Amino acid sequence: MPNSAFKGGLKLENPFPAEEIDLIRIPLPDKVILPMQQRIGEQAKPIVGVGDHVLTGQVIATIDDELCAPVHASISGKVVAIDEQVMAHQSGLKAQCITIESDGQDDWVDTSIGCTEHYELCTPETIYNKIRVSGIVGMGGAGFPTHTKVQLAEGCHTLIVNATECEPGITCDASLMLAYPTKIIRGIEVLFHVSRAERAIIAIEDDKPEAIALLKKYCKNDRISIEEIPTKYTSGAEKILVKSLLGIEIPSGKFASDVGVLSLNVGTVVAIFDAVVENRPLISRAVTVAGGAVKVPKNFQVRLGASYDYLLSFTDFEEGKHKVSVAGMMMGIELKGTNYSITKNTNCIFVGIDEKSTPVKAKECIRCGLCNTVCPVDLLPQQLYWYSKGENIDKAVEYNLLDCIECGCCSYVCPSQIPLVNYYQFSKALYRQQVNEKEQNDKARDRFEFRELRLERNKRERAEMMEAKKKALKEKMASDKAQKNIIEAAVERVSSSKSDTKEQDGN
Amino acid sequence: MFEATSILSLLALLLGLGLGYAAIRYRVEGNPLVDQIDAILPQTQCGQCDFPGCRPYAEAIAKGEAEINQCPPGGQEGVDALAELLNVETMPLNEEHGEPEPKRVAVVDEDVCIGCTLCIQACPVDAFVGSSKVMTTVIAQECTGCDLCIPVCPVDCIEMVEIKTTVRNYIPDIAELAHA
Repeated sequence: MPNSAFKGGLKLENPFPAEEIDLIRIPLPDKVILPMQQRIGEQAKPIVGVGDHVLTGQVIATIDDELCAPVHASISGKVVAIDEQVMAHQSGLKAQCITIESDGQDDWVDTSIGCTEHYELCTPETIYNKIRVSGIVGMGGAGFPTHTKVQLAEGCHTLIVNATECEPGITCDASLMLAYPTKIIRGIEVLFHVSRAERAIIAIEDDKPEAIALLKKYCKNDRISIEEIPTKYTSGAEKILVKSLLGIEIPSGKFASDVGVLSLNVGTVVAIFDAVVENRPLISRAVTVAGGAVKVPKNFQVRLGASYDYLLSFTDFEEGKHKVSVAGMMMGIELKGTNYSITKNTNCIFVGIDEKSTPVKAKECIRCGLCNTVCPVDLLPQQLYWYSKGENIDKAVEYNLLDCIECGCCSYVCPSQIPLVNYYQFSKALYRQQVNEKEQNDKARDRFEFRELRLERNKRERAEMMEAKKKALKEKMASDKAQKNIIEAAVERVSSSKSDTKEQDGN
Repeated sequence: MFEATSILSLLALLLGLGLGYAAIRYRVEGNPLVDQIDAILPQTQCGQCDFPGCRPYAEAIAKGEAEINQCPPGGQEGVDALAELLNVETMPLNEEHGEPEPKRVAVVDEDVCIGCTLCIQACPVDAFVGSSKVMTTVIAQECTGCDLCIPVCPVDCIEMVEIKTTVRNYIPDIAELAHA
């Protein structure tokens, strides 16, 4: 029985309430910019060149790495540039991107080859591979490659479809459920075929009654249940969701797959359906556009790589100075301007009016302990803050820094307005760097020591070889000398015997 | 009298045997201090400390034949860590041995390389791949950025390139978060 209450978390008001949450389909963008670096994994390598004509759904970049999903052209047209572009990342750094200019045709690659309706006839391996080549990653924001996740959870008992959408203000998953209820149900059936899951639970927060009613209407499969869970922020975090639905606590450092649960975002399930049944790779997604400058929040089904500006042009957008953030008010990051493109894990864009207020300065921690009470994963945010601030990373890791889900509840309630999550992100990055450096150092040490050993061995072997040669030469010389002596003795003998005969002859 | 003497002698003999056995059984190979020092050193193997590698330098420190401030790649942090380990006063990095620089990696200009193999012989961590009269290249993940290949190259085709910050190895600036 679901026990939906969890410790911590926050009850938050939706800052951008909308009356309608339809998924709006918009015309093709003129241009798309597709980054080679996705959220997780190696940077993909372009396999097309500038000037090439590409079709919608064609693979344009890939790399042999389990954690890197291939990148597909999201429109048909000409590759006009492969260069460095600014990423929608807190660092503001640039990374390699492919720019495609649309020919307006939207010509697709051949989508008739593959599993189609009769996916039951395909082996699970074929379907994993189909998910992999379709470039599907977690659409909830984490961007973890789905084929890896599905394969890890091969023997799972329960499939959880995460449709909680607990971050206030984001409604793209809700609009997706209203637009494609059958795709979701059939996507789950595809997953039943490839995993050993006996049942599936679609978890939806109770503030989305239309989506719940619609899914209940379309769901004819008695292995699929639809669970309403109370609206409370971080209810959708994987570990918390698994615990509140099934009562299973995922241990620190483990994943849902380790306890036999496969948990996927509802958008990911739709993408799996599109890939397996319709043979269409992941080239578009649902995005919420909201915020003070947008007036009415809207959801769009948009091609990947389209610019934020392009999306904003379909809203009642108010010009002026803006405050842009991506991926939600709690876990999102602030960006400078709107000159970025939609990626596989862009679930929302918030554009607010910049009121030009002076930026809030954080004050000293007053040790009130509020952060400890709201942390949904039972950490000690205050303690982690001290260690992070002092760059005492080992100690922070000892206090389970790595279990922090960066939900932002602690920063939200902090009366001193300390950006706690930023401190944890800093510590995590530093920890990763330290681990990496240590690995590198150990490798260098091993290689150096092995080289010393090898040089030493070469020297010894050379010396031994020289010694052996010398010895052989000496022996040869000795045996030569012995031979010579024998010959000399023989010559002596012969000559002496000759002279003897001469003497005898003379007589 | 005799009883007491014999009991004590027997006791002494047994304990002595026990100690002797323990000395053989739990014998520590090498000097553990050298390993601890070596673990702090950055393993660049650059030789800027005037020793032919990190381990020889660690051995010299352990014997008290070298100062702890001769390692530029380790930086001031490295000196401080060594001081803490050895329980001595920390000292500023000795600039005679060089200045700390950002981490770099060797890149061969493959059009210019003549395949002389001198860099292969100079590299302390075997990061070069190549053979006589064929193009040589660097395994970037193995290169420690020690610069030892630079002076030996007769055609100057090796360049040290700073490792770029990317989205993947970016570390947010904590100073920006600091309080007013």
